[in-house]
Amino acid sequence: MSYAYLFKYIIIGDTGVGKSCLLLQFTDKRFQPVHDLTIGVEFGARMITIDSKQIKLQIWDTAGQEAFRSITRSYYRGAAGALLVYDITRRETFNHLTTWLDDARQHSNSNMVIMLIGNKSDLESRREVKKEEGEAFAREHGLVFMETSAKTAANVEEAFINTAKEIYEKIQEGVFDINNEANGIKIGPQHSPTNPSLPGAASSGGSQMSNCC
Amino acid sequence: MAFLEWRKFQFFDLRQNIEGSEKLLELSKEINITCTSAGNNYLVFGDSLGQIHLISRSWHINTFRGYEICIEHSFQLRSSPFLITIGHDEPGINPLIKVWDISKFDRNGIPFCQRITKAVAGSYPVQVSCLAVCDNQQLMAVGFLDGSLILYRGDITREKSSKQKTFKDVKTEITGLAFKLTANRIFLFVSTYKEVFVYNITQKDKEQKYQLDNIGCSRKCSVLAESTQESHFMVARNNAIYCYTPDGRGPCYAVDGEKILLEWFRTYLIIISKSNRSSSLPKNIINNVTTPQSTNQVLITVLDIYNKFIVYQYVMPNIRAVLYEWGSFFILGQDYRIYSLEEKDLQSKLSLLFKKNLYDVAIRIAKSQQYHLDGLVDIFKQYGDHLREKGDHAGAIEQYTKTIGKLEPSYVIRKFVDSQHLEKLIIYLQALHKQGQATEDHTTLLLNCYTKLNNTVDHTASLREFILSKESDLNYDVDIAIKVCRQGNLAEALKLAEKHEKHDWYIKIQIEDHQNYVQVLDYISSLKFEEADHYMKKYGQILIEHLPFESIQLLKRLCTNFKPNNSNNASDNIISAHYDIEMKSDPEDFIHLFLNNSSGLVEFLEHLITAGCFLSSSVYNTLLEQYLHVWVGTEASGEKQKIAHRILELLQNPDIKLNKSHALVVCDMHSFSEGILYLYEEQKLYQQILRYHISRNDPHSVLACCTRFGHQDPTLWVQALWSCVRDNKELSIDLLKQILTVIAKEKLFSPQLVIDAVSTGNAEITLGHIRSYIMNELQQEMKKSEEIAQLTGNYKKDTEKLKNHIEQLKNGVTHIQGSRCAACHHHLELPAIHFLCNHSFHQHCFQTCSDDESECPTCQPENKDLIELLKAREYNKDLHETFHFQLDKAHDGFSVAAEYFARGLFNNYRILR
Ligand SMILES: Nc1nc2c(ncn2[C@@H]2O[C@H](COP(=O)(O)OP(=O)(O)O)[C@@H](O)[C@H]2O)c(=O)[nH]1
Ligand SMILES: [Mg+2]
Ligand SMILES: [Zn+2]
Ligand SMILES: [Zn+2]
Repeated sequence: MSYAYLFKYIIIGDTGVGKSCLLLQFTDKRFQPVHDLTIGVEFGARMITIDSKQIKLQIWDTAGQEAFRSITRSYYRGAAGALLVYDITRRETFNHLTTWLDDARQHSNSNMVIMLIGNKSDLESRREVKKEEGEAFAREHGLVFMETSAKTAANVEEAFINTAKEIYEKIQEGVFDINNEANGIKIGPQHSPTNPSLPGAASSGGSQMSNCC
Repeated sequence: MAFLEWRKFQFFDLRQNIEGSEKLLELSKEINITCTSAGNNYLVFGDSLGQIHLISRSWHINTFRGYEICIEHSFQLRSSPFLITIGHDEPGINPLIKVWDISKFDRNGIPFCQRITKAVAGSYPVQVSCLAVCDNQQLMAVGFLDGSLILYRGDITREKSSKQKTFKDVKTEITGLAFKLTANRIFLFVSTYKEVFVYNITQKDKEQKYQLDNIGCSRKCSVLAESTQESHFMVARNNAIYCYTPDGRGPCYAVDGEKILLEWFRTYLIIISKSNRSSSLPKNIINNVTTPQSTNQVLITVLDIYNKFIVYQYVMPNIRAVLYEWGSFFILGQDYRIYSLEEKDLQSKLSLLFKKNLYDVAIRIAKSQQYHLDGLVDIFKQYGDHLREKGDHAGAIEQYTKTIGKLEPSYVIRKFVDSQHLEKLIIYLQALHKQGQATEDHTTLLLNCYTKLNNTVDHTASLREFILSKESDLNYDVDIAIKVCRQGNLAEALKLAEKHEKHDWYIKIQIEDHQNYVQVLDYISSLKFEEADHYMKKYGQILIEHLPFESIQLLKRLCTNFKPNNSNNASDNIISAHYDIEMKSDPEDFIHLFLNNSSGLVEFLEHLITAGCFLSSSVYNTLLEQYLHVWVGTEASGEKQKIAHRILELLQNPDIKLNKSHALVVCDMHSFSEGILYLYEEQKLYQQILRYHISRNDPHSVLACCTRFGHQDPTLWVQALWSCVRDNKELSIDLLKQILTVIAKEKLFSPQLVIDAVSTGNAEITLGHIRSYIMNELQQEMKKSEEIAQLTGNYKKDTEKLKNHIEQLKNGVTHIQGSRCAACHHHLELPAIHFLCNHSFHQHCFQTCSDDESECPTCQPENKDLIELLKAREYNKDLHETFHFQLDKAHDGFSVAAEYFARGLFNNYRILR
């Protein structure tokens, strides 16, 4: 399937907040109540359309445990967007957000779009974190915020697509260097500049870039 | 600990001391193996002396010299006989690539060498670190210690057609190479110690490099994992195995440990890593005297990538290679022992899992290996049993549900039916229905379960849901369902019936259980004509009994122009309207419904008549009966009159096909005289009318009847007379007188007979009663005889006159006195002609008006008539047959006989001429 752009996402957050379920809901449109623990990084992809352009989303679903933190870190690089997820029914997952955010900011490209997600909104009766608190945190740290439910699919689509929209806008504004794949954005094969030598040049620029960082 | 999070199983058996493989052990005493490869039915070992050893499946070793000095790399193509090796024939020069065809051997047992090419990376010789050949035999890549990379395109077996291109994009040793062909693109994955990248080599001289990661891996620690689902270039690092696609990073499997070797086999990733925990691992058979240093041990891990299990893990002495051939894989130990790692068959795997009650895993594995359905069902069943024993009834049902279609449902039902888990049973039964596997018994059971749980709102709701579900979702016998529902959930039964258009059930329930006749009528009104007709016939009686007015209205509609009430059926209406087929019920079919409701029936039928319906005679008969029935039952005379009037109207209506004899019987039964008389009259049964009146002893009517019909049937009078005289009844004398008057006037009966009749009758009639009649008769007779006598006298006189005249003509002289011509009435002149009849003519007048000279033209017509009359008499005399015929035919035989008599039938006339 051809695409105009490829955006790479990463989903982070404590274990058990529903990262894998969110991904499954977005890619397969289903909810699997008993999900295997993610050991390492799982991977999903889906095509979406923004501004009548086909955009392929490549999503890495990471393990939340501390033991896998080093693996997760290696995935920040090369991600254009991140979904930082907490569980509205478990306050400690909200409390850990700062750690996650620091980690992400430190290891990612500075333009990475981060979306804050309060998941499991269907479990209203067990809510521990108020929506306002999530909003406040997002405002404070310059994130986009949304409450979702991987179970009911509420806002799941929006969470992924809004992130993509934001990335797309940044591309339009020229904030992202789309020729640098380390930014987590890739131009589709058919949409590459006609001069075939250009991507080669771009990739050499990319390696320079990573040398700088 | 990350490692512990993979589920671990031992799905492989490690076997050592493979029969025949000890030869290899012998060989290893002399050589040092430097490279290994496998494919095309051979294991290939290269040694430090430049020899190549081809090992067949029966462990026969074929050794030949490949290089003069040493051999460093080998690559045996999987499915073609080409073996590619890299080694040295001379010291200090560029390595040599040789391509061998191991299907062709020369006399010395050396395979045919197809090609020898120098691997030249640059201006000075560099050692080759890595070799990859594409299975299509068109691509080969050689990596060097200095980071150079040579890509060979074209047939690898022939140097001439092969083109090479050198890349010097990196400065560190190439540690891994792999080709990946997609439908329309070709990639070459490359790993170094420091990075992972990919070349898009689809187009020659337009190769593009993309970096995939800036961490690399060591030699042997990368592999292209190809499977039907997807393929990844996998790179082993200490914390995890990282996957790459040409687009970038893919998933990552966290597996701890310093990796030594990575191999891919079907869907299994084989990871050999340094074992630093040998002491903690259980003692195993290989961990024996031959391996003195435990530090030298390795951990072999087989990862099932798709199920995310570790399917084998084992600590063993250091190994040299992992080779995959002949459907299993082999491990070459540091000590040159060959071990084979053989996958357990599915059944053994499953029983292993069952022992641990890991049914979910068993199911996953069975599915991923395309286990046959029966086997899967058996697992579901076992899993279900297990969960049930654990008390997880919901879980158990979920598993049992998957056995539907294979496992006998009674097995499951028995387990739940007597327990407190009806909800679970319901789930199972619902599933059974959904999959169309439910029998009537199951439907009954399910509905009974619903009913039992009916006290809770939840289950009423689910019952409703069940009932209202689409037919495609649930397959059940609706009749059974209704029957069962009817026992406890009338509302549901009704809904079911309505939904599935089980009209009979619907109506039955409404009538028998709800006595909701209004609803039933509404319902029937909304049905299609045929159905409405059918159900009105079936249930009409009870409906009329309870809702006479409405029911009759509906019947009227059915018999005139019925259109379903329901707006939902609008389209149907359009269709029927389109075809314009008028559908009407036969009223006759409904008549029996009006059991005790004559007035209702009358109303119904009258409506139909006014609506101009075509009704059969039996319907009219019924109507007549009903009318009479009502008429008899009516007391008020005014009302009675009205009804009588209507009955007569019915009888008189010329358009109505009434069975008259039946009508007569019915009228008679109800003593409806107007009707009877009308019918008699209509059929000209005047005698009957008369008899009727006589029997009713009604002299006026008798008289009226006779007067009215006497001219058509004069015998009525006689009849009346007879009736007067025959019986004792006090018939009015007036009547007798009148009768006699008429009889006398019409001469119906001779007085003789009248007197006979009167005298023979039983009635007490005295002479006085008939005196005037007899007197009259006698006077008349006398008058007549006087008249006749007078006439006879006259005739006698005439005859005498004529006789005299004839005598005179014969004998006497006739004086012709006539002075005028009988033709022109002028005075006669001579010549004249004279006849005896006293007519005279001018001769010229006679000649013009006569055609017979012997006759008088004036008298001729009269004479002619006379002669003809006589002739006719003579002629008629012979025609007795005609006479008899006419006599038979004649209304009044006497007059015929009289005429013939008068014509002299019985005389012997002779014509006088
Ligand atoms: N009710 C509810 N449960 C959820 C939702 N998302 C995830 N879960 C449950 O939370 C648990 C952890 O989900 P998982 O995706 O494995 O979390 P991860 O560790 O972040 O990947 C699972 O048992 C899910 O069933 C949600 O939106 N609503
Ligand atoms: Mg997860
Ligand atoms: Zn004349
Ligand atoms: Zn005459």
